[in-house]
Amino acid sequence: MSPERLATAWALFQALLIEAMPFLLIGVTISTLARWLSPGGQWVRRLPAHPLLGPLTGAALGFALPACECGNVPVARQLLATGAPLATALGFLFAAPVLNPIVVASTWAAFPNQPWLLVARPVGAVLIALVLATLLARLPEAALLQPALLEERQLVLPLSQVSLLERRSGVIGADPLAAQALAAAPRRTPRAPLAEILGHGSREFIELAALLVFGCVIAALVQTLVPRPWLLAVGGAPTLSILALMLLSLVVSVCSSVDAFLALGFAAQVTPGALLAFLLLGPVIDIKLVGLFGVLLRPRAILLTAVSAVLVVLLIGQWVNLWLL
Amino acid sequence: MTLPRRLRGGRWLRPLGLGLWGAVLLQSGISGRLDLLLRAVFHPLVWISGVVLVVVALLELVGGGGAAPTPRQRTVLLVGVVVAIAVLLVPPRPSFADLAANRDRELLDEPGLNFVVPPGQRSLTEWVRLLRSQPDPKLHAGDPVRISGFVLPVPGDRPQLARLLVRCCLVDATPVGLPVLWPPGRPLPKADQWLELRGVMDTERFDGQTRSVIRAESVRPIPRPARPLEP
Repeated sequence: MSPERLATAWALFQALLIEAMPFLLIGVTISTLARWLSPGGQWVRRLPAHPLLGPLTGAALGFALPACECGNVPVARQLLATGAPLATALGFLFAAPVLNPIVVASTWAAFPNQPWLLVARPVGAVLIALVLATLLARLPEAALLQPALLEERQLVLPLSQVSLLERRSGVIGADPLAAQALAAAPRRTPRAPLAEILGHGSREFIELAALLVFGCVIAALVQTLVPRPWLLAVGGAPTLSILALMLLSLVVSVCSSVDAFLALGFAAQVTPGALLAFLLLGPVIDIKLVGLFGVLLRPRAILLTAVSAVLVVLLIGQWVNLWLL
Repeated sequence: MTLPRRLRGGRWLRPLGLGLWGAVLLQSGISGRLDLLLRAVFHPLVWISGVVLVVVALLELVGGGGAAPTPRQRTVLLVGVVVAIAVLLVPPRPSFADLAANRDRELLDEPGLNFVVPPGQRSLTEWVRLLRSQPDPKLHAGDPVRISGFVLPVPGDRPQLARLLVRCCLVDATPVGLPVLWPPGRPLPKADQWLELRGVMDTERFDGQTRSVIRAESVRPIPRPARPLEP
């Protein structure tokens, strides 16, 4: 790599990192506040676990978090750690980056003359979230979630939901009377001291920032090495254009809050299905996110997410092209 | 010198890491890097985040405690610290020509095209927008031109004078350029060089079509502007 290209990659890395870091901080702040305000997270465990209602509820929660996908990861982690049903937490993780006020507004601002896109983007995001949540929820939690998160989650889940082999605490082998007393004990968790909550939030931010750095390095290098015109050269071909724009969304890794403005730049050169595919896939998965997902999901689950998201988005894009072309 | 007990066992690494990331964000604003990396609308968010991170780092330093980081957490912290220091020490110096060569050329049809601005005061981007909306080259022939931009090599053509348009950050930068008839008898300018150019708008036949071209009368090297990106 020439020195000029290396310098450009370094600048792109800094741009990606500095743009994403405030959104990451917003997400960590919200998850930290949630931990402080609702220490036991009882309300989280009462969210629906229904395979359809769960993801829809999770997607609807997106309206409460005006951040992009980077900010959603810590909040989704907090939901999972406090025992939220998988379907709801995954629905939130995958749909909320699109179903939030900022992203809806920016899509409208970028494409005021394409009302179909304003409907198709949120509907498509919900559809993808439903498919991914249904698919991933079929995996055992031990195969899906990162061990540290799983351990945290199992501490708050009712013992009836944790298998005997997975239990690290509980009343197995304890005096039955003591067990009854434990079961009858009030479930209200005391609010932790602010310093402890702050420490937890700091640890979370530091860990996510390291993963963000990793994702940004890869994204910056790929962007510098892969000429973008190659990806847009197939703009007119229905299927190829969708594939090319999906690849572009994986590579570019910009936040969902602003990707509509980026898409506006090449909207005229590509098919409508490809345009929608770009706007749907990026918020679910991209190179930068793969690093962040490392705090939530095991590598196989991330791979499954990526492959499934690509297939669903391809189908949606094809259907849109059949409908609009 | 010994560390206070609350910072022993690697506990100092966390406030250091947080403080460094805060410093990275604040220093980006202070040094003007943000103008090179991000569109202005995002700058306040970066400033606020920087202040929050520094404040949290100080709170952690003063009242911190909790468990010492595990070996894995130490590694993560150290990686973060090293990268943050590298970002602080090595400023971004992108090659605009290299970046532009890797991007498709296109232009937003944004409102705000100001036809009232006299020709001599139009920026390069305003000229490109005008030529896109009123593509007849004869309409503009003879208009005075005074613009600045970087030199962008174009395969099969003379180097153009160009600017980068940005909607979010440098990552989505796309080039817009104008063809230039460079002053005869002088070598063509080097890629990535920033120039201020005075001349008149003219027409020429290129690739079987008539197009607008700037006939350069004076070319002056200038340093890269503090805000090189255009919205």
